[in-house]
Amino acid sequence: MNTHSRYAKGPFVFVCMVVLLAVLSPLAGKAQGCTEQIRGIIRDKDGAAIPGVSVMLSAKDTLSATSDVDGIFRFRDLCPGNYTLFLSEVGYAGVQRRLSLPGADSIANITLAEGTEQLREVLVTGQKRQEIATIAHVELAGNSLLEVRGKSLAESIKQLAGVNAIQSGPTLSKPVVHGLSGNRVLLVNNGVRQEGQQWGNDHAPEIDPFTADKITVLKGAASIRYGADAIAGVILLDPAPLPEQKTIGGSISAVASSNGQMGTISGMLQGAFDKKLSGLSWRVQGTLQRSGNFRTANYYLFNTGMAEEDFSAQLGYKWKFLNLSASYSQYNAKLGIFRGSDVGNKEDLLAAFARAKPITPDEFSYKIDRSYQSIRHQVFRAAAEHVFANHGSLSLSYARQQDVRSEYDIDLPYTSDSSLLFKPQVQFKIVTHTLDLAYKQPSVNGFSGIFGISGSTQGNVYSGLRYLIPNFRNYGAGAFAIERYETGKWMFEAGLRYDYRWLQVYQRNPTSLELYDNTYNYNSVTGTAGVTYNFNDHLSLNANFGTGWRPPSINEMYIQGIHLSAARFEIGDSLLKSERSYNTTLSLNYHTDKLKAQVDLYDNEINNFIYARYIGVVVNSKGANPGYQYTQTNASLLGADITLQWDPIKQLTLFSKTSLLRATNKSEHDGLVYMPPSRFLNGITYHLPQILRLDNAYVTLENISVLGQRYVNPDADAIPPPPGYSIWNARMGCAMPLGKKTLDLNFSVDNLTNLAYRDYLNLFRYYADDLGINFTLRAKLSF
Amino acid sequence: MKKVILGIALLAATATLWTSCKKDEKSVAPPEPGNEFLTTVKLVATNANDPSDVQTASWKDLNPDDLTPPDTSLAKLNLHANAVYNVQVQFWDDSKTPSAAITPEIQERANYHLICFDMDGNLNLTVQRTDQDTNNPPLEIGLQDKFTTGAASSGNLNVQLRHQPNVKNGSCDPGSTDADVNFHINIQ
Repeated sequence: MNTHSRYAKGPFVFVCMVVLLAVLSPLAGKAQGCTEQIRGIIRDKDGAAIPGVSVMLSAKDTLSATSDVDGIFRFRDLCPGNYTLFLSEVGYAGVQRRLSLPGADSIANITLAEGTEQLREVLVTGQKRQEIATIAHVELAGNSLLEVRGKSLAESIKQLAGVNAIQSGPTLSKPVVHGLSGNRVLLVNNGVRQEGQQWGNDHAPEIDPFTADKITVLKGAASIRYGADAIAGVILLDPAPLPEQKTIGGSISAVASSNGQMGTISGMLQGAFDKKLSGLSWRVQGTLQRSGNFRTANYYLFNTGMAEEDFSAQLGYKWKFLNLSASYSQYNAKLGIFRGSDVGNKEDLLAAFARAKPITPDEFSYKIDRSYQSIRHQVFRAAAEHVFANHGSLSLSYARQQDVRSEYDIDLPYTSDSSLLFKPQVQFKIVTHTLDLAYKQPSVNGFSGIFGISGSTQGNVYSGLRYLIPNFRNYGAGAFAIERYETGKWMFEAGLRYDYRWLQVYQRNPTSLELYDNTYNYNSVTGTAGVTYNFNDHLSLNANFGTGWRPPSINEMYIQGIHLSAARFEIGDSLLKSERSYNTTLSLNYHTDKLKAQVDLYDNEINNFIYARYIGVVVNSKGANPGYQYTQTNASLLGADITLQWDPIKQLTLFSKTSLLRATNKSEHDGLVYMPPSRFLNGITYHLPQILRLDNAYVTLENISVLGQRYVNPDADAIPPPPGYSIWNARMGCAMPLGKKTLDLNFSVDNLTNLAYRDYLNLFRYYADDLGINFTLRAKLSF
Repeated sequence: MKKVILGIALLAATATLWTSCKKDEKSVAPPEPGNEFLTTVKLVATNANDPSDVQTASWKDLNPDDLTPPDTSLAKLNLHANAVYNVQVQFWDDSKTPSAAITPEIQERANYHLICFDMDGNLNLTVQRTDQDTNNPPLEIGLQDKFTTGAASSGNLNVQLRHQPNVKNGSCDPGSTDADVNFHINIQ
């Protein structure tokens, strides 16, 4: 069985190789100088230049530029090929323009003046300049996003400096920013704050990354705009703006991976109407993903398959000064949990850890058996924006989210009642309504800003066979203001937010079954102040200080019982106080054509940091398990993220991303648990000259080295952290113009040497190795 | 003006949605009466030569989800030296009144359950499983056992209920633990 399925991969891999070799074979083509450029002036309708607009150009890499005092932006030394230009500015709608170099009519030099008036009225769906500009941020768009298509959200952004993922096996992973995850990292998908059951380490974000055209990670206390909680960072997923032209366009992406024999297909279709329906535009999108058992270097991980089906639809209408939009999305997933992680107590865990190889069936199968999770997440959003004559705007948006998560344990429940036999052991349903009203102040004399109020209500209904967390109702209200002042080389900004949260928890007395409730009130202030100084066109320094807070989450307050798969007995504390963070970030940016460097230094001091503290062994009928009680301490997270990109010659790019973190429990004087160890990513890309009709062809080789985590309390975990490891990845890609269409191709090999290793942040490292070699072919046809 | 009207309309619509939601969370679902929790492991030992000599021991943890320690006061079994006992291992949910028997459900799923025994080295006791499941070839279960005692001695007997879906092979290694308790055995 095993050998059979292993060889079944052969032809598939072979086909991929042939396709890519055919595409890339004229490697020895003659070098061509890349001397093209794109230049543009950004003006408003009165012809006044707009400085400080960020312009992105997607090609082999995403390049960015900012319009200068005269509204001029420029991209130099570009190779012939197809490019997409994105424009964004607060108060204006995003714009997207496709151009090819060299253009037949020299359209390389474009002026956006004529489009500006139109721009202002278009629907603002994304590409907005971020609300807090002085905070350290990194983003993924264009080709970098294409290279990670098919991966989960957390896996997609893991390559960014300062970002990591905490995993429970190959398909369940959640993002970690500067060492923190869960509720401490906010996810904002298409303008809506994601509200699922994000408190669990094994609850992956319920998001289809294919809906995003750009993913931005804001590192620091950046939650002024979106509410409390995000004391570590915010991840923004923005779709492309809806089209303005009436032509119907779209894209189809297909991803095939050898590991897990995973297949993904995602399609998008969009268009706009004219004549009587002028101003109306639409988009539909859907993704299907299926995978079977994943494989480590030496064996299969039994029951790690997954199936995901997502779709979304978006409608926009622009009428005079009014922009209306509505969208609906649905995420459905069934995720198998690795059979080898089903343990009853710590002895099972230690026995599993001691084995060189899990004693689960070593075979490939698409079948998803118990234990598994089944999740459905739905989001409906409606928004209206009115743009005033002075470029200011007022927007109102409403969103309703419903998240239903069912978890099935390895064993059927003990029952003589057959109707209970196939019920999930754990089920949550959380429904969230949010309403936001925001006013964007026009830019006058260097001042710009945004003010708003928001309200939310959330109800959680737990229906499981075993107790995990209680039902609750949450009401939240907040008000915020962000103001920015730009003068010469300086930019100053400050933001303030107040939030109030009311929480009522509903339970039954276990013996009398009487209903009772507990009510909690939390309220506090989030603040940020920052400054950017542009030394010259190439060098800038951002400094930001932010303070945020996070009320305890429901599991930290009320969880009680064994956490299956982690062999931990956890107890909550309903009297926990809110966390308070003091986050200082310094970000130095250096950008020239040849060298790009970004150094982010941060110090996040968190008072009343909530964590699970070891309290000794807890014995029940399942045996002995280590017990952990949620408690509070003062913590300090000190770190540095360094991103470097150097093009010594035109065809060559060297890149490097370093993430360093030292996290300390200040009252116990030792390290915090599950903190990412030091990570170094280094690579080299060779850009092939334009040959045949291929654009942006490249070959990349990269190495990821992760050190062992040395700073950790030995009591904090069942077994010590694994040693460091060093893996190699390779990839190549190109874009093929097919008439007016473009076919993007990308082929990658992850873990090239098929190294057997374990990663500290993968919670299933107790039971099995991490993934072995994986060949992936990605194709995207845009039309 | 239109924007104001629209804004009000949207607010009103939202307010309606807001208030019309059912407050499902307030009616906390009571525990499913048919759902059983393994709270008790019982040994019932009958002397093979004297059916009136029946010894029982039980290990109980009525609140497995909190920190109260299990009740092991009755987890003791006195056996005669150099004797043979037919032993039943029973699993109960004693948090219910009357107690709910879990053993029949384990018997039903015998093809992926196995009872494993382990004892202190100085305890003169051998344990042999006497029942079989319907796997092909059949494998032992352990709900029915034969205990053979030697000379007087005392020590701990560890009883485990192993859950081994699709991987049961007669050995205790595969699968995970559903119950893991200790009894004190006194052979005199």
